[in-house]
Amino acid sequence: MQLRLLASLCCLVLAICYLATARTTAPAWGNAGRQIHVFSAVSLQTGASQGIGGSLLAFFSRLGDSSWSVGLHESRYAYDLIESVHVWTLTLFFGLAVMFDLRLLGWTMRTVPVSEVSRRLLPWTVVGFVVMVISGTLLFTAIPVRSYQNIFFRTKMIMLLLAGLNVWIFHSGVYRRVATWDVASVPPRAARVAGGLSLVLWVCIVLSGRMIAYNWFDCDRQPQRPIVNFLTSCVPGQSEEH
Amino acid sequence: MSLLDFFHWCEQTGIGDTIRRSSWLFPVIEAIHLLGLGVIGGAVLVVDLRLLGLGLRRQPAAQLARDAQPWLIGSLLLMMMTGGLLFLSESIKLYYHEAFWFKMTSLLLAIVFTFTIQRKVILAGETRLRPVWSKVVGLVSILLWSGVGIGGRWIGFS
Repeated sequence: MQLRLLASLCCLVLAICYLATARTTAPAWGNAGRQIHVFSAVSLQTGASQGIGGSLLAFFSRLGDSSWSVGLHESRYAYDLIESVHVWTLTLFFGLAVMFDLRLLGWTMRTVPVSEVSRRLLPWTVVGFVVMVISGTLLFTAIPVRSYQNIFFRTKMIMLLLAGLNVWIFHSGVYRRVATWDVASVPPRAARVAGGLSLVLWVCIVLSGRMIAYNWFDCDRQPQRPIVNFLTSCVPGQSEEH
Repeated sequence: MSLLDFFHWCEQTGIGDTIRRSSWLFPVIEAIHLLGLGVIGGAVLVVDLRLLGLGLRRQPAAQLARDAQPWLIGSLLLMMMTGGLLFLSESIKLYYHEAFWFKMTSLLLAIVFTFTIQRKVILAGETRLRPVWSKVVGLVSILLWSGVGIGGRWIGFS
């Protein structure tokens, strides 16, 4: 139940991102007379106007120009505080999710019924996940264009989707029959696979999340390999001007 | 040899130098350090939530503590190794950073508290102690470990 909620939340966030941008297919605002970030301006000229990617980029560069975003980005403490909340909540969400995965693998709490761990711990991971999504969205809002074109951010989002998918498969599959293996110290293969996959995915999500901070593959750092520019939807050339 | 001399010596070790020269070693070690933090968080919270009367309420706290212990100690060792490497690469900066000293103090208190007072209270069980003591111990533990994590995050902000 909680796990399904978690998966739905994952999808909801992505759906909101998409819907919010669907209306901005044609960026009507000109960048001539407006005071906008140089980086946003460059990205707008180079990447916009091409399908969903372009509308997303246009939306995020408009978001980046909002006073809300600039305020978050430039404030002395807000960004650091939000990031600290994001890291603290990581221990709540990731830590307890890992404990549940380890139980599925039969590596800890082997005498505690799986349904008990699920019922008692997963609500906490849902609370943690909600705080993670809110604080993470705020962090994204502070630096939207750069984050959107960041290779690690993109990796993280894709893996978040996969993790949500894994949760959904686990819950609509082997977990429906949990009554038959609830007290098994080592759960059946399907449950172990779900636990192992979840563990690997969340570890990769944390790793790639941490790496977003580094600009090795950023659009304004050229030359990059073509594959990098492809993966970050970056059109070099004009970006090199600054 | 003063403490500052020792920090100077740390900064000049070959390991610290190698990490400083590399563009990716520090980020990678730091990311592993962060993973360790997450696992410690899980191992600590499973026990502390139980002490607070939340989480896995039907299991005895002593059993949960025993189950979580290998993961707590394992991730603690991982954090100390990765943290030690990070320390070697920027000892002097850390010497002058109050967040570092806040973190080290919290860490020392958290470790001592977890393996002495908290362990005693858990082993005493619910029958011999008033429930309020379990709650106090769970809360203090969460606060101390949080201090370590938050102090660590604030080392990165200057």
